[in-house]
Amino acid sequence: MSHAVELRGIVKRFGTFVANDCVDLVVKAGEIHAIVGENGAGKTTLMNVLFGLLQPDGGEILIDGKPIVVANPRAAIAAGLGMVHQHFKLVPSLTVAENVFLGMERGRAGFVDHKAQIAETERLSRDFGLKVDPTEQVGLLSVGIEQRIEILKVLARGARIIILDEPTAVLTPQESRELFQTLRGFVAQGMTVIFITHHLEEVMAVSDTVTVLRLGRKVDTRPTADVTKNDLVQMMVGRSVSFDRRQREPSTGGTVLSVKDLWCRDDRGLPAVRGVSFDVRAGEVVGIAGVAGNGQTELAEVLSGLRPASHGTFRIHGEDLTAASPRRIRDTGVAHVPGDRVVRGVDRQSSIAANILMGRQDTPPWARGSLIDWAVVRERSSEMMERFDVRASGPDALVKSLSGGNMQKVVLAREFSHDADFLLVDQPTRGVDIGATESIHNEIMRQRADGRAILLISVQLDELIALADRILVMFNGLIMGELPGDSVSEEALGLLMAGVQTGPDRAAVA
Amino acid sequence: MEVLERLINVAMLVATIRTTAPILLVALGGSFTTKAGIFNIGLEGQMLVGAFFAVIGSIFTGSAWLGVLCGVTAAVTFALIFVVLVVSFRANEVVVGLALNILAGGMTISLMKAIFGTRGSIVGHGIVGLKPVHIPGASDLGVFGQLVSGYTPLVYVAFAMVPILIVFYQRTRLGLHIRVVGEKPEAAEAQGLSITRIRYIASLLCGVLAGLAGAHLSLGYITMFTENMSSGRGFMAVAILIFSNGDPLKVLAGCLLFGFSDALALRLQTFGFPSYLVLTVPYLVALAALFALAYRSRPRIVRETVDSMKRLMRIEGPPDAGAGRRNES
Repeated sequence: MSHAVELRGIVKRFGTFVANDCVDLVVKAGEIHAIVGENGAGKTTLMNVLFGLLQPDGGEILIDGKPIVVANPRAAIAAGLGMVHQHFKLVPSLTVAENVFLGMERGRAGFVDHKAQIAETERLSRDFGLKVDPTEQVGLLSVGIEQRIEILKVLARGARIIILDEPTAVLTPQESRELFQTLRGFVAQGMTVIFITHHLEEVMAVSDTVTVLRLGRKVDTRPTADVTKNDLVQMMVGRSVSFDRRQREPSTGGTVLSVKDLWCRDDRGLPAVRGVSFDVRAGEVVGIAGVAGNGQTELAEVLSGLRPASHGTFRIHGEDLTAASPRRIRDTGVAHVPGDRVVRGVDRQSSIAANILMGRQDTPPWARGSLIDWAVVRERSSEMMERFDVRASGPDALVKSLSGGNMQKVVLAREFSHDADFLLVDQPTRGVDIGATESIHNEIMRQRADGRAILLISVQLDELIALADRILVMFNGLIMGELPGDSVSEEALGLLMAGVQTGPDRAAVA
Repeated sequence: MEVLERLINVAMLVATIRTTAPILLVALGGSFTTKAGIFNIGLEGQMLVGAFFAVIGSIFTGSAWLGVLCGVTAAVTFALIFVVLVVSFRANEVVVGLALNILAGGMTISLMKAIFGTRGSIVGHGIVGLKPVHIPGASDLGVFGQLVSGYTPLVYVAFAMVPILIVFYQRTRLGLHIRVVGEKPEAAEAQGLSITRIRYIASLLCGVLAGLAGAHLSLGYITMFTENMSSGRGFMAVAILIFSNGDPLKVLAGCLLFGFSDALALRLQTFGFPSYLVLTVPYLVALAALFALAYRSRPRIVRETVDSMKRLMRIEGPPDAGAGRRNES
């Protein structure tokens, strides 16, 4: 079998950091090749080098056995490569066909031939089984369909080797399965697919061959049939990690958080949360599942006082905090791990110590009178860094020098050391590697054992299944149903996440 | 009734069309930059230098059309300075726009002093204005003939630009690319389109129309230049652009509103209202229009509140909305 892509000794450095260290990669023609690795392992960098978005500091690229220089994406496209990025680059006000042909419009004399574009989009859509309506406005479509359009864009440019960067991150399980079928179809037509992921189930389900990267180096390339999930995890992390459901004692505490018919609007003024009600008891982890953008973020913002509720109430220990300021909510006993740590979790320009200080600047022993006692702040920060396994040179290191996982541990260290009764934890392991994820999960379970009430919002189903006692599924601002954490199938979760209710009394079972 | 008839008649409509033309030209020019994602507050200055240099060109060449060309060239030069600073050097759009507006105001006054030794205005000196176009046979059409014939050429250009721009944005490659660059620059970049090049083109096209708007002011119905002749029309255009998002039809609607209130103000003066009060009419209309637009978002809030109140009154919610609530019991 011939090689569609061959990378030889690719080296890519950013300053002193080596993102790719002499990586070799062989992708056979007509296979689905998965590239896995922790965050920061160099997967995306390697693909960006292949696609001409980055120039390598060393090494060779061969496409179809011929060495080429990929100076820019244009050269990559000319060589038959196509890349579907993690973040879609579609124009909402244009139609599907206009987006597919953007930058290579059909037509003459500066005019666009809409009819020809629509016809060609239809043909591509039929040939490759990617159902779209070419005349629809992209802004009105779901994320799953947007991804189809991105793939159509790549196909319209004549790609035979398709690279997908974390294609399933934004999809429901059902949409992911459809995508995999499509990819199988591509391979059947003689095309080659390379996809980056950190979901090992996907690797096992769809790929023919898998390459594992760790810390910028290739660990191994193996036929998927010859490896197990555990082998892959060991290769990725360098040791074995457990992802099973965590053991736990049943919780017996009283109600800490009580939410009743809560509504709020999003930034555009449209209803984002539309009447949700639930309780969280002490010593319990309640998970909120859902595809990103179904009101979870807004719900977390309301509960932390960052967004006003338009209707309804929430209480902590019976005290109505619906209209309270973030400060008052915190003082009542709420700790908040925000979903977007860079925006609301940390100040990247400040030191770790200053970040851990935030919110305590008025409390002894951190401050005496109105003066901050930096000696105490540093000492306490060092203790917390040790306890929460923050890897940095010391408390004075700037947060922006930390990796995503370590940054998140700084946030957890600050929030979980407040002795708050209610922990509002939004996407605690987004963009965090497997090793750090494990220690964050351990910490959440430790807080649960200490009798905290925890609301865990996550788009990662395996995380919810591992940690939550109950899982509420949000769709379009509503809670579609509740599933007990110990007997939940991804299937049932996926249907609820897609807005399909499995039965009228499903929600009442709990 | 009689008062109304005196207020709204053919003459009034003709006046509306006339007063609409310059603001429509400059606003359509701004539509290019708005669509390309540039907040162009420098329209006022571009229009002013357009008006000034149109008069200068007209005096020195003896031709109205060469005058128009001079005005357009001056405005395009201003547009070029704007886009170089904003796009290539990434300066703040508002600061650069305001600076160019102030420069335009000061420059025209000092040049007037230097060339003609006068302050205030340039009148006479052999300025050649644009001749009104009389459409043949229009006089036989009665009222309709009066409405469509007898304007200076740039009035026709202004109104013709509306359908041209609609086609431009929907059917041409450049129009499409300008929209993409404004709405989602990273999408343009990913497809190898040069954001810089497209923003340059949009800004220069804007300069052309702003220059025409200025030339229309000084060589249209009155052939003279006065200090600060654009008198806020560029800013009005900016306001219209914010609310129309640069869509040609909405721009037209906004400009007609301002044109009408401008004409109304002139009309009211003939009724003997104090002129300083009357001159506030267009701005009051602007305020009222903006308020009305802002008020439109109110019913949504009302609707949502009514919705949740209804849900409270009901014993059983609808199956989808009630799911979250039912597991309480």
